[in-house]
Amino acid sequence: MMKALLPRNMLIPFLSKISQKMEVIAPVLIQGTPAFCTWTGQDLALEENPLHPPTEFLLPHKETLFRYVQESGRYTFEEEQAVPRLILGIRPCDLRAANVLDRIFEQPPRDHHYLGRRRATLIAVLNCTKPDDGCLCTQFGSGPEAKDEYDLLITEIGPGYLVEAGSPAGILLLSDNPEFFHDATDAHLAEKSDLMKKASEQIKLHSDISLQKMKDRIKRADWESLEKECFNCGGCTFVCPVCHCFNILDLGIPDGERVRCRDTCILSGFSRLAGGANPRKSPGERMKNWYLDKFEYTPQKTGLAGCVGCGRCQKVCMAEIDRWKLEAVK
Amino acid sequence: MEKIHTTCVYCGCGCGLLLHVQDGKIVGTSPSPSHPMSQGRLCIKGWLGAEFVNHPDRLKTPLIRSGERLIKASWDNALETVASRFKDIKERYGPDSLAVLTSAKGTNEENYLLMKLARAGFGTNNVDHVARLCHAPTVAGLSYAFGSGAMTNPISSLSQAEVVLIIGSNTSEQHPLVAFHILRGKSNGAKIIVADPRKTQMADLADIHITPRLGTDIALINCLLNILIQEDLINRDFIAKRTTGFEAVSESVSHYTPEVAEKITGIPAGKLQEVARIFGSANSAAIVYAMGITQHTTGTDNVQALANLVMATGNVGREGTGIYPLRGHQNVQGSCDMGALPDLYCGYQKVIDARQKFETAWGRPLPQKPGLTAMEMMDAAIKGKIKAMLIVGENPVISFPDQEKIIKALKSLDFLAVMDIFPTQTADLADVVLPAASFAEKNGTFTSTERRIQMVRQALEPIGESRQEWEVISSLLSRFGVPADYASAADVMKEIAKLTPSYGGISHDRLGVCGLQWPCPSTDHPGTPVLHVEKFTAGLGKFRPVEHREPAELPDLEYPLLLTTGRSLYHFHTGTMTRRTSLLDREVPAAYVEMNPEDAGALGIRSGQKVIVESRRGQLQMDCRVTPDISQGTIFIPFHFNEACANVLTGQALDPTSKIPELKVTAARIRRAE
Repeated sequence: MMKALLPRNMLIPFLSKISQKMEVIAPVLIQGTPAFCTWTGQDLALEENPLHPPTEFLLPHKETLFRYVQESGRYTFEEEQAVPRLILGIRPCDLRAANVLDRIFEQPPRDHHYLGRRRATLIAVLNCTKPDDGCLCTQFGSGPEAKDEYDLLITEIGPGYLVEAGSPAGILLLSDNPEFFHDATDAHLAEKSDLMKKASEQIKLHSDISLQKMKDRIKRADWESLEKECFNCGGCTFVCPVCHCFNILDLGIPDGERVRCRDTCILSGFSRLAGGANPRKSPGERMKNWYLDKFEYTPQKTGLAGCVGCGRCQKVCMAEIDRWKLEAVK
Repeated sequence: MEKIHTTCVYCGCGCGLLLHVQDGKIVGTSPSPSHPMSQGRLCIKGWLGAEFVNHPDRLKTPLIRSGERLIKASWDNALETVASRFKDIKERYGPDSLAVLTSAKGTNEENYLLMKLARAGFGTNNVDHVARLCHAPTVAGLSYAFGSGAMTNPISSLSQAEVVLIIGSNTSEQHPLVAFHILRGKSNGAKIIVADPRKTQMADLADIHITPRLGTDIALINCLLNILIQEDLINRDFIAKRTTGFEAVSESVSHYTPEVAEKITGIPAGKLQEVARIFGSANSAAIVYAMGITQHTTGTDNVQALANLVMATGNVGREGTGIYPLRGHQNVQGSCDMGALPDLYCGYQKVIDARQKFETAWGRPLPQKPGLTAMEMMDAAIKGKIKAMLIVGENPVISFPDQEKIIKALKSLDFLAVMDIFPTQTADLADVVLPAASFAEKNGTFTSTERRIQMVRQALEPIGESRQEWEVISSLLSRFGVPADYASAADVMKEIAKLTPSYGGISHDRLGVCGLQWPCPSTDHPGTPVLHVEKFTAGLGKFRPVEHREPAELPDLEYPLLLTTGRSLYHFHTGTMTRRTSLLDREVPAAYVEMNPEDAGALGIRSGQKVIVESRRGQLQMDCRVTPDISQGTIFIPFHFNEACANVLTGQALDPTSKIPELKVTAARIRRAE
């Protein structure tokens, strides 16, 4: 494993050089709001994890699968190739979400749109040294420190950024750009492990949550009362880095594009069948299904929890439904 | 990928959102956690807020009619046609034969320029917009009572109220972020009272739900005030120091005893007493209302009745109190502020008082006589008095009452120009169609229902050959000899600020993420979240007695049901945008009529069956949804759907003051479709 120290003032020059070869995605401030965007030299916003997850760069909200063009009665199809990208500043929870997505989209039939984009993407994870109040990653084993599946792992320590390579592509990123890096020392590594331990303890304060405890809560929750409060905004599904349901539509006649756009199981139309029958008729049933998908079905399908503990669903919920409300509403 | 912070285009909440832009297309939307009102939340329409922007149906070139067809044309040709036809008609029939309908979906800058075009360019005050069909009674009613026809407090103030009375508003579906703040208050112990003939989500969550018969709001509100006076739950100090005219109101409401009100509204007298006591006992109580109050022939009086109630209880001018008219479009507040109204210039300056000021500013003589309101324009078109109309970003064929009459009016015109982002049913009747840029393709400002002036930021170049409306209107202004050398929307705002006292301190570079709440009279003014703090804008608050009047159309043997219309959570107005958003159109793909099980049982109608709904003006076929959530005797149809347009059924009875049509009450009948 290759480890190096990137001095604070070298991060931007390093990114500048990389951005000549590939698109760099990083959190920057948009009118004061941190958000993952194409980095073109803006100040980085690495303090807090943006509200919107970076998994949209692997599975976009809306993507053109192919364009269809009709000429003399014959159709030709045009597909775009994935662009090479580095996503900097992904948190360990969101990395875990990407791992869950990998396992889902690798299952047959393999989704070559997703996998093509995934292969073209390098991930530079930022360990969480200052977890947010809503963070629950420790309970699901998805943070605050990434253990594997990254290309680069970055931890902010006193003298700068400790950068560890976790893949051949990551090693190349370091070895091709030695001018930015110093050797990492044992003291740097010790500082990292100290910081991660503290962060982990801070999150563990929320010891009320675990996969099993959530399963119990789902069983006991009063879904009929909860559904009265739900605004059906779908925010929980749109902001979840693991949610990946989509709808497909053809836009344009005779030429046009086949578009895949995100869908949400909170809407009744998601589960409604032709003829109008709906196996999940009430909003409460749909809400319960969403929780079950996170804590029952996804673990069964992928071996990983469908919740990575990022805490975003609580932040966007208009009814302020959180794990406490699952128990409180009676 | 770029992300652009802007303001949502749907309802009056004015939520902050980020548009995700990749390769010149919008690929996503997400909420803005730094926005002071929406705080990182969005409703389903907001989350899917920009899917329509890149829809293939977008109008991409100007179109000019040639016989039955609309043919692609150049901008020069289209603008020249518009200008020359309007000039011809003006010359032949006079300036008042022209009329403009502006757009509550447009920016403040665009609305300002359109009202300038009507007045300084065309020479007529015939300019109006869809506020005529939503909150014209609020503008009239609250302006009279308080001196300012807008929401008194910021939306977030609702979470501090001890009691919130929601009347005629399906808040969680139509203004979800307002409901969010109300429910936040509820989780801190606030009491919620809902008056609505339908058991809406808010009604279901409320502490008390009362179901007045349609069109009996004044009897209900007057009775509440009467009980408060009888039980001495009014604020006599506030009434004495801050208001005038209470005695007359006190006398007039004394006739509305709980027993009398029970007979009129159908609400048990005991329930009315309970509601009054809860409302009157609170230190801070707020009233939230929407179309259920305004879309009546008594719309202005309904608003006054509510104003009487808040003044009598001293619930104005503090956090947690106030009156909250919920405005439907994201910029219907701004369109009114900008004077897209026949009797008012921007900042609610009266045409009869402020004409000279605007003549000096614009360097043109201006028309003296206030113009026609939207519904009056349609009437005048049928009578041949209005000969040419410019309709921007509005689809009256679907949204105005009595569709047949509206189509007849638009077909009677010698010339109709329509500017929109999609081909609408109104554009189908046009002689020239101009393609407009959507909210994602322009800069400008929207003013939300809480008077918050916020930036709309350009994320894309206008699609196809479409243009930002301020540019198009500027070229029309020039063609009418009115100087219009604006370099940007920000330039237009500079002119607005000069001429509009409440916007005096507004400039684009001051607005940031939080915007500013008007009045903001100077460049160092921080904006005004709460109105009427020490005194009312008008000085003293004005009480005015109002009396119950029955709706224009009552049920009878022939048409025994009362039809009320409204919106679905998943659609917006005439569906131009939401019906082109895949998930929203899938959720509610067609019109339906809601009906009480008792009524349905009597007619042998089952849920899901096709039915024919008829009124004196027309008939529609649609699916029936049988639900206990609607009062017996009342039926409900959402008005988004061209295939079964609810406004085929509605009538044009107007409120005498504000000229709003009574969209909320229509006598109707239902039978099973064969």
